[in-house]
Amino acid sequence: MTGLQTRHPYQLMENRISTMPKIKKTDTFLSDLLAKETSLNGESTAIKKLRQKGIDDVRNASFPGRKDEDWRFISLRELYSDSFVPASHIEADLPDLSEYYIPESEGARLVFVNGRFSAEHSSTNDLSDDVTVGNISDISASGNALVEEHLNAYGDFDGDIFSSFNTAMLQDGAFIHVPEGITVDTPVQLLYVQTNADQPYFTTSRCLVLADKGSEITIVEDHIGLGDNKYFSLPVVEINLEREAYVKHTKIQRESSEAIHIARTAAHLKQHANYESYTITLGARLSRNEPRITQLEEELEFTVDGLVLLDGDQVSDTHSVMDHRFSHCESHQLHKCVINGKAHSVFNGKIFVRKDAQKIDSFQENRNLLLSRKGLVNTKPQLEIFADDVVCTHGATIGQLEEDEVFYLKSRGLNDHQARELLTYAFALETIENITVDSVQKLLVEEVHNYTSRTLESEE
Amino acid sequence: MLEIKNLHVVVEEDGTEILKGVNLKINEGEIHAIMGPNGSGKSTLAKVVAGHEAYEVTEGDILLDGESILELDPDERAHLGMFLAFQYPVEVPGVTNKTLLREAYNTIAEKRGREELDPLQFEDYVNERLDVVEMKPEFLERSVNAGFSGGEKKRNEIFQMAVLDPRISFLDETDSGLDIDALKIVSKGINHLANENNAVCLVTHYQRILEYIVPDHVHVMLDGRIVKSGDKALAVKLEDKGYDWLTDTAPVSVNGEQN
Repeated sequence: MTGLQTRHPYQLMENRISTMPKIKKTDTFLSDLLAKETSLNGESTAIKKLRQKGIDDVRNASFPGRKDEDWRFISLRELYSDSFVPASHIEADLPDLSEYYIPESEGARLVFVNGRFSAEHSSTNDLSDDVTVGNISDISASGNALVEEHLNAYGDFDGDIFSSFNTAMLQDGAFIHVPEGITVDTPVQLLYVQTNADQPYFTTSRCLVLADKGSEITIVEDHIGLGDNKYFSLPVVEINLEREAYVKHTKIQRESSEAIHIARTAAHLKQHANYESYTITLGARLSRNEPRITQLEEELEFTVDGLVLLDGDQVSDTHSVMDHRFSHCESHQLHKCVINGKAHSVFNGKIFVRKDAQKIDSFQENRNLLLSRKGLVNTKPQLEIFADDVVCTHGATIGQLEEDEVFYLKSRGLNDHQARELLTYAFALETIENITVDSVQKLLVEEVHNYTSRTLESEE
Repeated sequence: MLEIKNLHVVVEEDGTEILKGVNLKINEGEIHAIMGPNGSGKSTLAKVVAGHEAYEVTEGDILLDGESILELDPDERAHLGMFLAFQYPVEVPGVTNKTLLREAYNTIAEKRGREELDPLQFEDYVNERLDVVEMKPEFLERSVNAGFSGGEKKRNEIFQMAVLDPRISFLDETDSGLDIDALKIVSKGINHLANENNAVCLVTHYQRILEYIVPDHVHVMLDGRIVKSGDKALAVKLEDKGYDWLTDTAPVSVNGEQN
């Protein structure tokens, strides 16, 4: 009896310790957000099923921290230390959006306002009936089996909590299907508009692109913040390229200066397919891009170029994966960053060449131009090669403007400011000159111009 | 027009003395050639005149029309009509020749009180200048020197000179890396551009280019000083005998021949 009595309190204590561990805010941050969103609906069972899977995955996954190798360079404190409401709780005060429309896509545009599809702003008149472009939840509800078959089939980021969260929140999003042999001449604009609001909110958007055999399409994914407010945007893009398909994908991220943008892009490629992507990072206080390209058959090519222009206390992180699984693949990654002020740029480029994936020709280069003394760059090319007949060139440079180049231009009469502006502009331009949509290229040239003259002025 | 007086120059980074008292006077309408072996300081002289910031003038002066230019930045010197054709022209990917030249031309025009040209006027002007170095118009749309062969880069320097129309030009080893046809074209261009109102100073290791461009004055530079000046006959003598006979410190003996 006495023995039991003495043992009892001890057992209680032990129970208390094991059932109530110290809960960190990061552990529950995303599940807490899940609970806040109660307004999700939609008829499609496919989407409901996925959503449930996403919810389970979020609960089982852990929130990343600086102890994780892939997250050691940046802090997510800006994210988890704040409280966010679902974007559906925000009353959107919407100005005229037409200035953000690209003229080439006048009849091929999907607009999402704070993650919700806006039929009013969208238009798909220019697209032929063979091609399906629309809101993913509408299309799924209308009984299109492709959604169930393909959605979430490509965006598996190794149990990553953010893509699971996006899946748990699945509702609206872009769905693009180009059937076999069809070339879509009109570039499709996917415009994601985030409105100004006092209360920080979160928004998730999804995009699924299915390019069937021998099809061709150009996509311009554009994220815009209308104010300078804080919000959390978490887009996930999945792209499947069947044999001989050709997808050109330009992503422009110009979120608000206080925004947090954490994005996932996955592309799967089959034989003779070609995926060309250009990611331009201009906005957001904290941004993270994770392009992941997976080769599913032999003989194909892809490009994952990027341009990052940072200023102030912006932080931008690109973690890419180029997964060469079969022989005869040509891949290209030129990732350029210009860093001013106290900004911080991170690049981690993984190149995998799996066993027996021979004759791989992979090019990777990360070039960083540091314009200020307080800017910070972390760059880490990461090659894991298990085949012996491959060519993988990679390089990473961090530098200032070459004084010889500045001198050369000054000797031609340009003043210091003109010379530095021209050189910064030229450095950045290389990554956007391959973008084939004229107005997008023009827009980006202008953005680069604004950036260079602004940063040089702030320095003077 | 340009007067260099007792010029002493050190490399700013480590204090190595390169120029040890250079004196040189260049007038309008003249063509000068500065010759010398590698490391004699002739390229440094050209860069210092253009205002390169890696060098520091410790003594002496450079005067343009009687005014010191030492305190002027490279662009301000260019605005006064000074030009340097680089030994190793810099590649500037992403900036087309036309963009650079229009910006440069108009900046200089404004400072020199000339009329600035709008894009159409500039197009006409620049096309006409292409003929000076026999270059095709496509050349204007290419990025400055990016992917150019050595010869194309040198030609581009003379083309820039033709467009900017400077008062005094230092051409640093413009002849090196040129094959014989390109050398003839470049020389013809330089002869065409030289006139009564401007001056050209060729900085060269070999006298090869002097077969096509006849200098009024030839200077020999050794160990940071101009040790001998003369007319074009001096260049021929240098070609024959090399530079050793000019070194005054060692007893002079070239190939066993007493001088």
